[in-house]
Amino acid sequence: MSALVGTMRSLKFSRELVLLGVLIALIVVMTLLDPLFLTPITMLNTSRFFVEVGLMALGMTLIIITGGIDLSVGSNLALVSVAVGFSFAAGLPLPLAILFGLVVGVAAGLFNGLFITLLNVHPLVVTLGTLALFQGLAYGISKAQAVSDFPGWFAYFGQAYLGPIPGQLFIFVMAVAVVWVILSRTSFGRYVYAIGNNEEAARFSGVPIRKVKLALYSGIGLLVGMAAVIYTSRVYTARGDSGVGLELDVISAVVLGGASIYGGSGTIGGTVLGVLIIATLRNGLILAGVPSTWQLFVLGVLLLAAVFVNEFFRKGEE
Amino acid sequence: MSETRAPTPTERGGAGGESVRRFLARPAAPALAFLAVLLVAFTLANDRFLTASNLESIVDSVAVLGIIALAVNQVILCAEIDISTGSMLGLCAIAAGAVSLSTGGILLPLLAGVAVGALAGAINGALVTLGRIPAIIVTLGMLYALRGVILLVTGGTWITGVPEPTRFLGTGKVLGISVPVLILFGLFLVMELVNRHSTWGRNVFAVGGNRVAARFAGLPVNRVRFVAFTLVGVFVGIASMIYLGRAGSVQTNTGVGLELQAVAAVVIGGTSISGGRGSSLAALTGAVLIGVILNGLILMGVPGIWQDAVLGGLILLAVTTDVLRRRLVGDKA
Amino acid sequence: MLRRAWLPKALRATLLAVLVLAVAACGVGQQGPSQGGGGGGGPNKICMMPKLVGIPYFNASEQGANEAAKEVDVDLVYDGPTEAKAALQSQMIEQFIQQQCDAITVAANDPNALAPAMKKADNAGIATGAWDADVAKDARDVFVNQATFEAIGYELVDVMAEQTGGKGEFLVVTGSLTAPNQVAWLKEMRERMEEKYPEMSIASVEPGEEDLQLGIDITKNYLQAHPDTAGVFGITSVALPGAAEAVEQIGRAGEVPVTGLSTPNEMKPYIESGAVKKFVLWNPVDLGYLAVYVANAQVEDKLPKSGTFKAGRLGEVKLLAEDEVLLGPPIVFSKANIDQYDF
Repeated sequence: MSALVGTMRSLKFSRELVLLGVLIALIVVMTLLDPLFLTPITMLNTSRFFVEVGLMALGMTLIIITGGIDLSVGSNLALVSVAVGFSFAAGLPLPLAILFGLVVGVAAGLFNGLFITLLNVHPLVVTLGTLALFQGLAYGISKAQAVSDFPGWFAYFGQAYLGPIPGQLFIFVMAVAVVWVILSRTSFGRYVYAIGNNEEAARFSGVPIRKVKLALYSGIGLLVGMAAVIYTSRVYTARGDSGVGLELDVISAVVLGGASIYGGSGTIGGTVLGVLIIATLRNGLILAGVPSTWQLFVLGVLLLAAVFVNEFFRKGEE
Repeated sequence: MSETRAPTPTERGGAGGESVRRFLARPAAPALAFLAVLLVAFTLANDRFLTASNLESIVDSVAVLGIIALAVNQVILCAEIDISTGSMLGLCAIAAGAVSLSTGGILLPLLAGVAVGALAGAINGALVTLGRIPAIIVTLGMLYALRGVILLVTGGTWITGVPEPTRFLGTGKVLGISVPVLILFGLFLVMELVNRHSTWGRNVFAVGGNRVAARFAGLPVNRVRFVAFTLVGVFVGIASMIYLGRAGSVQTNTGVGLELQAVAAVVIGGTSISGGRGSSLAALTGAVLIGVILNGLILMGVPGIWQDAVLGGLILLAVTTDVLRRRLVGDKA
Repeated sequence: MLRRAWLPKALRATLLAVLVLAVAACGVGQQGPSQGGGGGGGPNKICMMPKLVGIPYFNASEQGANEAAKEVDVDLVYDGPTEAKAALQSQMIEQFIQQQCDAITVAANDPNALAPAMKKADNAGIATGAWDADVAKDARDVFVNQATFEAIGYELVDVMAEQTGGKGEFLVVTGSLTAPNQVAWLKEMRERMEEKYPEMSIASVEPGEEDLQLGIDITKNYLQAHPDTAGVFGITSVALPGAAEAVEQIGRAGEVPVTGLSTPNEMKPYIESGAVKKFVLWNPVDLGYLAVYVANAQVEDKLPKSGTFKAGRLGEVKLLAEDEVLLGPPIVFSKANIDQYDF
């Protein structure tokens, strides 16, 4: 038993080392193509873009560990963005509007969670439905228009710098720390792994499965809300088409980071490295002058490659 | 009610008992009922709704969706999923369109479209079966990768000026009925027959119902799923010829969003997302239902921006109904 | 057990690394001819962004931009998002800034959303401009306008009036109900009808959302529900072919006049079949060409504040205002002249 645990530990450890190696290699390649890449300014600027995906990926990691998935995060972001912008435009003071947006995000996540736990419907189809539903609500409520006249201080969420470091990076680092503690140091975290490894056994062991899942889907809703506020602040506009397609980046980051899509394994460290790799790739490709038409293709293939390597060899070890 | 009967194949509904109860147990029953209600409601709201030409144009407009849904239905019956069909349609239409610009006619462009589709479907199938990658990830990655391929291959230029003869599959009429409708119903009949009478067709239900049991029973589980994914590609290829005919040109964003509608059609129509339960009638009904709803929305003047919300709401409604129905009926499909 | 576990693990790790790098290398192998090389010395670096890449209209402007780039010997980066989303553009502008462009000019999906990014560019000493679709006035130094909203709106109505005897109720199929330029054209169209053709009116405006099939279906549905419609305007490069196709499919080509804005190559089949007799546009090739000339002049500080400006083969181009350059009057395409154009 301890040998198994020992193997598992060294498994996780070496996987993250490899990811770190890949990240460094990528940075080297990008820098060779465009020497500007390695300047601190550029690196820090890159970090401004990945915070939103990163926050969502933190929540997605836990969900994927339990064997679930949430395809609706991108649309949820759009909905929160619209909620913030349009409630503000309708007269709500901005701080309350932001709070309202966060509430909407959590409510949307809870909506997913209820469908999944009470009705026992597979998360895949529920979140496929809510992907369309939230997107449609975002478009419909905003009537395809945008809100841009926010007061100056709103920009702090997405555009502020503390010294040379972008403000949202601090938020991200704190979120990483919190989620990491939850996952690896609390009983809640153990429950998450237990559900992912064998849900039936977990149920018999007394794990409060329903509550855990509800917490997970609402939790990612909160993270989506935070990401939405940062995103809206960064582009300074609330629109119904924000965040569309982000679920690809989020899921790719988690899977790249080593989580098994079938559940039972995954770490916050791996996910963070996954987020960094994708952000480096995206930003680096653009800086190197690669046309954006290639990015779609590259990212699609990357997702497939990452999961392939993940699953093909993992299964081989069983 | 006091009859004893052998365990029923759940996909065909109950055996014995009143025929009404048998009908109600069919997977497509709730959707058909809902469709009937909608037809009545829309007719009352707008008397132009129930004309033959409007109805035909509704079915005509969902022909592409319906054909793709028939194939995606098989994948979902296997307890898998395919969300790459939108990008597949774009790529097949481009292949068919490009060929039609140089050779004209129907057969060669059709072959080109089907070949490209079959190849893409086969890649999906191989990655899922041999690569052991979950279908949701495979088809999500392919959705983006194929869209990227479309942009790269076309360089952003559209395909325009498709010759008239090539467009027959989309705009032609045979015996007064529009060709897309004929093809849709023809393929529907084919799939019904395949599901009832062919080995592969019956295996699909077994694999979807309980993959482990199917494997132990010696069924070629991987081959069944691989064929299902490839079939999607073939049907998308056929549908692309219809699209080409109806639209006359192909843009780089052709097919965007279609994959969601296809899954929605299948699920709303009554096929269960967990696999093993459903029918081609469900897929067809679901597609027609979506067409009727979208058509009705336009006629009622509801702005197009609400379409996605309606679609999402319907998926959730269908899924909830399925769960409630299963709890009431008591089977654990 | 432990030893066996290492082999696939190491293999897995290496394979992953190789795959990621291979995928990156694949993408990188497709670099465009222009690379980031630094700001000082050498040719000016002009970074030009369309609303999105992958549609013929913006491919045409790229054509013109490349032509101009060769003539004035600048380093041209022409790239945009693959979807017409302002947030994606905003991000790209920031990346242009990092690439140390000398000038950034953008066709905006949303005039306000891009303002912060453009202002950042301005602060970094980069010449800022817009073309085709403007950003907020204080976010750019100059706007290259293809034609005034008034000229386009009026021309569209005049072309339709010619074919319908100056009366009737019309359907307008647009892209999205909120795109600023489309909204502006509608306003001018209504004004022209009020002033000159009081018996013409716009009965309905439907959004085709740049989806060809949707545009076809919307037009067909509308015409079947309102058979007395006098004509159809399709005011985007996707809406017009869609409207023409719809009219053909219900067998009323020629009977119901169709006109609007689109590119010649897309419209050739419909001009030939007679579904569309005339339609309007400007020359996007020329627009892209002019945008590069203007951006270059900005960098060299040679852009006048009024009067005219010499832009290569376009000759003397007018300045409508201190910060606005006008390409010229719109072009009316018809059977007589459509073969002269290839975009």
